[in-house]
Amino acid sequence: MDFLSRRIHLVTGKGGVGRTTVAAALASAAASHGKRVLLTEIGDPEGGYSAIGRKFGREHLTPDPVPLGPPGLLGCHVWATRGHELFAHSVIPAGPLIRAALRSKALSKFVTAVPSLYELGVFFHLLKLLQATRTDGSLEHEVVVADMPATGQTLALTSLPEILLDALPDGPIPRYMREGQAFLNDPAKGVAWVVTLPELLPVTEALELVEGLRATHVEAAGVILNRFPEDPFEADERKELGALLAERPMHGALTFQQIGAARTAEAELRAGADVPVFELPELADAAPDAPPPELCRQLAAWMEAE
Amino acid sequence: MSAEMLARLLAEKRVIVVCGAGGVGKTTTSASLALAAARAGRRVLVITIDPSKRLAQTLGVSPHDPEPGALPEERQRAVGIAAPGNLSAWMLDPQAVSDRTVRRMSKDAASADLLLQNRIYRNVAAMVAGMQEYTAVEALHGFIRDDHYDLVILDTPPSRNALRFLDAPSRATAFLDRRVLRLFVPGSENRLRQAATKVFEGLLDLAFGSEARKELQQFFTLFEQILLYLNRNQGEMKEFFAGSDVTFLLVSSPKAEALDEAFYFEAKTRELSLPLAGYILNRSRAWAADRPFPSESELPEDASDTVRRAVEKLAAFAAPEAESAAEHEQLRTDLAARAGAGFAVALPELPAGASDLESLVELAELMQPA
Repeated sequence: MDFLSRRIHLVTGKGGVGRTTVAAALASAAASHGKRVLLTEIGDPEGGYSAIGRKFGREHLTPDPVPLGPPGLLGCHVWATRGHELFAHSVIPAGPLIRAALRSKALSKFVTAVPSLYELGVFFHLLKLLQATRTDGSLEHEVVVADMPATGQTLALTSLPEILLDALPDGPIPRYMREGQAFLNDPAKGVAWVVTLPELLPVTEALELVEGLRATHVEAAGVILNRFPEDPFEADERKELGALLAERPMHGALTFQQIGAARTAEAELRAGADVPVFELPELADAAPDAPPPELCRQLAAWMEAE
Repeated sequence: MSAEMLARLLAEKRVIVVCGAGGVGKTTTSASLALAAARAGRRVLVITIDPSKRLAQTLGVSPHDPEPGALPEERQRAVGIAAPGNLSAWMLDPQAVSDRTVRRMSKDAASADLLLQNRIYRNVAAMVAGMQEYTAVEALHGFIRDDHYDLVILDTPPSRNALRFLDAPSRATAFLDRRVLRLFVPGSENRLRQAATKVFEGLLDLAFGSEARKELQQFFTLFEQILLYLNRNQGEMKEFFAGSDVTFLLVSSPKAEALDEAFYFEAKTRELSLPLAGYILNRSRAWAADRPFPSESELPEDASDTVRRAVEKLAAFAAPEAESAAEHEQLRTDLAARAGAGFAVALPELPAGASDLESLVELAELMQPA
């Protein structure tokens, strides 16, 4: 198994765990191995700035891929509306009446109101990006790294094929759902990365997310334990200092406790996870507008190790 | 002073709605608020949507209970709750809640059955905007009206839409604009509209297949009734939530994103004229601002070399920690000012992750001034 041979990497995890940074670093690392990489972020035409874009000094991204800077690395937004357009064009013959109907407010309201149709648009746009080829027939984007929204929305997307295959068994949708499943539900083609923090509740949620993804037939390649604090204490120091601080709380004690809590959370994660666990250090001084080079190097090293 | 104000709310209000971003410890805070009020002798119910499994275990309730359940008596005694005080919890199961709402709100049993069996509904009911929150709130209203509990604490879902139960029905009906609906739902007398419906049906058949299109039409026809019901009742709900029995608390961590969310909720409560009592600054270091720095003088006389070495290493963490503690204390003061006549209470981050009962008691004690 080789990380770089996977076509799609879904990077997920709840808000505030550093998911976007990890996605950007993962994509940069893959590009540094000579792959044509596309880094995507779910967005919409009215959405504000692009979090992914900012990692590379751009305020906005478009639904069409643009170079992000590092050689081989492109970035784009995934828009549900773009997916809907692409879908409509692929299934509905063009004609003046049809075109007018597609542009109508009524239809767009309908599309917003029908649950799952939003996800369908996102799904379809991602699928088309994965399937895009160059004129010589080779793949336009060899590796797609998708910065996925909060966990609920990620699961809504990964469970979409099953839901729609049940809800809409005829018409053209099932075919596209199966094409998507061929990427997402085959661990040799698509994997998820669950990003979390070294704290007890986030770790429990990460374990639940690994299970949740599995229930939608998406395999997690690993859990990334982000911002793991550095621990300067020896075992005996830890023990004695803990006892002293329980008696006499002083400044520094909270950080000391946090280190202990991070170790406990890590142990819990390693005990509960049946997927690899990767630790990333706390990088307090990382520039906010670039994926930290250390992180990229670390991820690149894992990719080589595989 | 702030802690006293919080204690008074816990003693007097009938409903406390807890809002905030995800990951700030909202559910844990709600549970410890409930615990504090029960310890003070009130009959308390905490309602939470989609809690972590761990907290459900701690409270001894299952996510699939159809009704609220009281904590086992020995657990209640162990955490210092004595009669008349009582603590119950209810974890809402979105699908079950949704189904029950459909049963209750459909115009007759037959259309409820049709909707419950509808493939579209079956797959997406949990996602329908506002239904869960609304149902939770309606149940809550019933508990208070029937005097089952002295106080109900509602832990809202961690989304910007958490307050949507108050304006959801109108927004949902706006989505499903009736003029738009009529285009999809056949039966109009108007010839032009009939023609338009035909075109849309044709499009939907191409995109989804005709079977699914028919189910979609059925779904919208049936669901419209429910939206109308929600609409009729929302006036009464709004009035109840703006009343003096109810108060809103905002939970935030000191992180910028969490604060942004809290300020969003603050604006939202003002916009909807809801009574905002104050802020709980969770996972902050504000409460540790007065600690001493690690130094020779903090060491006991018989301190070992090991502990001396460890305290020396600890010094590296002390300055940044003291600084953030001071910042958080300033933030707490600012939040209190923002809340107007309200308050801001700072709670610590409990290293254990604060989901076992002992941790909840620890937090509850901070909410109950001696």
